Amino acid sequence: MTRLIKKITAVAAIAVTGTLGLLTVTVPKKTYSENENRMLQGIPQLSWSALADGSYFSGLSSCFTDHFAFRHFFVSSDAKLASGMCERVVNGVYIGNTRLIDAKVSERGKSQLNAERIKRFAGNYSGAVYLAAVPTSSGVYSSMLPAYLSYNTEKQQIDRFYAEFDRSIRKIDAYSILKMQTDDYIFLRSDTKWTGYGAYCVYKTVIQKLGFLPSPYSKYTVRHVSDDYCGNLYNRTQYMKSNKDMLDIYEYSDGAEAESCTCYYNNGDSKSAQLYDLSALDSGDKYDIYTCGTCPFMRIRTSLNNDRKLLVITDDMGRNFVPFLIQHYSEIGVVCPKKMTGKLEEYVNADDYEQTLILIGADSLGDEDMLSPLEEEEE
Amino acid sequence: MTYSSLIFIYGFLPLSLLIYHAAREKYRNAVLLGLSLIFCGFCGLKCLAFTVLDTAFNFLVGHIIDTHRVRKKSGTLPLLTGITANIAMLFVFRAADLAELREKIGLPEGVLPVGISLFTLSAVGYLIDIYSDRIRAESDPVRFGLYMLMFPRIIMGPVLRYDSFVKILSRRKCSLAETGTGMTIFVKGLAKKVLAADNLFMLYSAVRNVKSGELAAVNAWLGMIAYVLCLYFTVSGLTDMGIGLGRCFGMHFPRCFNYPLFVSKLRYFASRWHMQAVRWFRRYISSPLSAQSSVRWIKKLIFIATWGFFGFWYTFRAGGLIWGLLLGIGIVVERKFAKLKMLNATGIIVTFVFLTVSSVFLAGDNLSASIRYLGAMVGGNRMLADSLTVYLLRSYIIILLVSVYASTDLFRNMLLRSRKHKVNSVLSAATPAIVIVLLLVCTAFIAYGGASSLSPVTL
Repeated sequence: MTRLIKKITAVAAIAVTGTLGLLTVTVPKKTYSENENRMLQGIPQLSWSALADGSYFSGLSSCFTDHFAFRHFFVSSDAKLASGMCERVVNGVYIGNTRLIDAKVSERGKSQLNAERIKRFAGNYSGAVYLAAVPTSSGVYSSMLPAYLSYNTEKQQIDRFYAEFDRSIRKIDAYSILKMQTDDYIFLRSDTKWTGYGAYCVYKTVIQKLGFLPSPYSKYTVRHVSDDYCGNLYNRTQYMKSNKDMLDIYEYSDGAEAESCTCYYNNGDSKSAQLYDLSALDSGDKYDIYTCGTCPFMRIRTSLNNDRKLLVITDDMGRNFVPFLIQHYSEIGVVCPKKMTGKLEEYVNADDYEQTLILIGADSLGDEDMLSPLEEEEE
Repeated sequence: MTYSSLIFIYGFLPLSLLIYHAAREKYRNAVLLGLSLIFCGFCGLKCLAFTVLDTAFNFLVGHIIDTHRVRKKSGTLPLLTGITANIAMLFVFRAADLAELREKIGLPEGVLPVGISLFTLSAVGYLIDIYSDRIRAESDPVRFGLYMLMFPRIIMGPVLRYDSFVKILSRRKCSLAETGTGMTIFVKGLAKKVLAADNLFMLYSAVRNVKSGELAAVNAWLGMIAYVLCLYFTVSGLTDMGIGLGRCFGMHFPRCFNYPLFVSKLRYFASRWHMQAVRWFRRYISSPLSAQSSVRWIKKLIFIATWGFFGFWYTFRAGGLIWGLLLGIGIVVERKFAKLKMLNATGIIVTFVFLTVSSVFLAGDNLSASIRYLGAMVGGNRMLADSLTVYLLRSYIIILLVSVYASTDLFRNMLLRSRKHKVNSVLSAATPAIVIVLLLVCTAFIAYGGASSLSPVTL
């Protein structure tokens, strides 16, 4: 290299690193990323303990990473480059020909703790408890993953979880139901969650176990409210070639209606809501159109007067599932433990409901915090 | 903070270059030390305090040894104290079995003071050199602080003798051209780490995820070849980045790797792999001990044991020790057959196979896992290949072939031969563009997590 070339290299490298660094620091910070559908790391709070253990600096590093100039461009380029260069696994997501699949299924935590919590809850509860562990797209489409990524499948995780319970808790085999429908559009292609149709397939079995006849599919009017939804797996890869998804809402024109939906928040406030919030289509996370499960506790009162009450303890999987239950109960309480900061009894008395359905995704089974609000307050 | 992180490349590096070059000549050492303390402080102030105290301790012990130069025997105690304290600290931080002790001291879990392995070697070498009258104790705490903590060499070296370091420091030449060369070497190292090592680590991880009883022989070989290549690209990538950074600040550090993997003899590997660190072990362990005996087999035993220590230093586990011992034994045995002409033709393959097989111990979590893995490599699971083999080959064949090519000196030799040809001038002219494109591609690969954190060893 001649001296001139060396000088040009120095100027170019310093210009690129300096400019990108400067843009990262100076451009106004956003708190939420629409591309990744998550809150971004802000500048961490300065404290002695955070400085001492290094968490302040790791927070600072995360903040720099989250707000890095042209982050979306770089992350999406990563997916393109990596899938062309070597294995099609980018940021823990397998890029399949037709869909994205979470490739970190095998690394999930153990579900024993949550099983114990459910058993204790059921022991103190006066009504009947029903349990449905719902596989994610990684479970149902595990055969698309290379062998080494699917050695500890969701099927095995769900089986191990179910083996913890005796007959007093009624278990529903959502996995087999969904596995039979893999040719249909039962899971979003860019997300781990199911579609409205996937939820309906499981609803048919669940509602029979709960003692009702399912509403026929033909009675529903399906509205495609969005056809460009990019799900949580897209958020991780930002792989531009991934298929965008449709979001559907199911309306039963001749059936019961949700007369009131009230959201109860952690600070004690409550707010009136609707079963579907179409204004969310203009927001960063279009999936928020499914409002059940967006607040810690939601009480839905329907036009039915059968005096039947159901408590649903759920995570994101319940969001497009709960609307199908409207046709059978006069009141449905939707508990989202992930959103709760306190204990369950601070929000609702579970014994007011004669049945409880615990419907959680297989990806939440090993989440140690997931069902902690179900534990009773220590005296 | 690692070299291959966004905050380092786009935050710390340009800022430190700016501050350093803006500072007056006489303050540059102090500026560089200040920047190095900030770099080390990213592990937390607790770790930084350990690092600074350790540096101060070695500075003090160095002076105590120096004052006893005339009556050498009285310097032995401070020397032994210094060496014991340094090695004890290294064990406290790195040995897996001492996790409880670390917890009691209140050290954050999984956090190491940056470059603890490297600066322990530097410190011990410095104390021994004073004791053996090779150098005088440093009177300038800033210069000594730089020797121990300077961020361009703290992560992966090169491990230098104190006098060599001082020479490099005093012959510093800061210029835009030097920075250009430095950035080129830095980006080369970054590409080795991010593009080659990280992808090879994914291949190795893919194989490791398979239960050892179900592992087909070809997969086991693929996994271990990926591990060896990944180890090379990780360690040499990090040293390249360090050398490149040093160059940006005007310092010419010696290189640490010289295409060691595809060589016809194990002893060539030994003389080209992590050269400065290997030299440290030879200089301070093997040579002084060998000088005590004229018996050949004892000398050989010392040679093998030194390689064992080197391997142990990599992992602080029995597996690393065995890897080193196997290398030592391999070199000793090879010398016996050095005159065999057959080795000239088959040497590259034999050496690489030996390295691959011995690395099973370096890679394994424990001895039984390594033995099971070796069993799979020799077909103990009665499976030669399976569907995973096809998948892995299809996914990784390009990266494997490119990595094998890049770990040989073929490309360098081609450039050397083409010096008078046009192609060389074209490549030279394209260097700035190649550097920027590589930098941006590496950025894309680390943009999601913010850093390339996959590593086959923790040094």
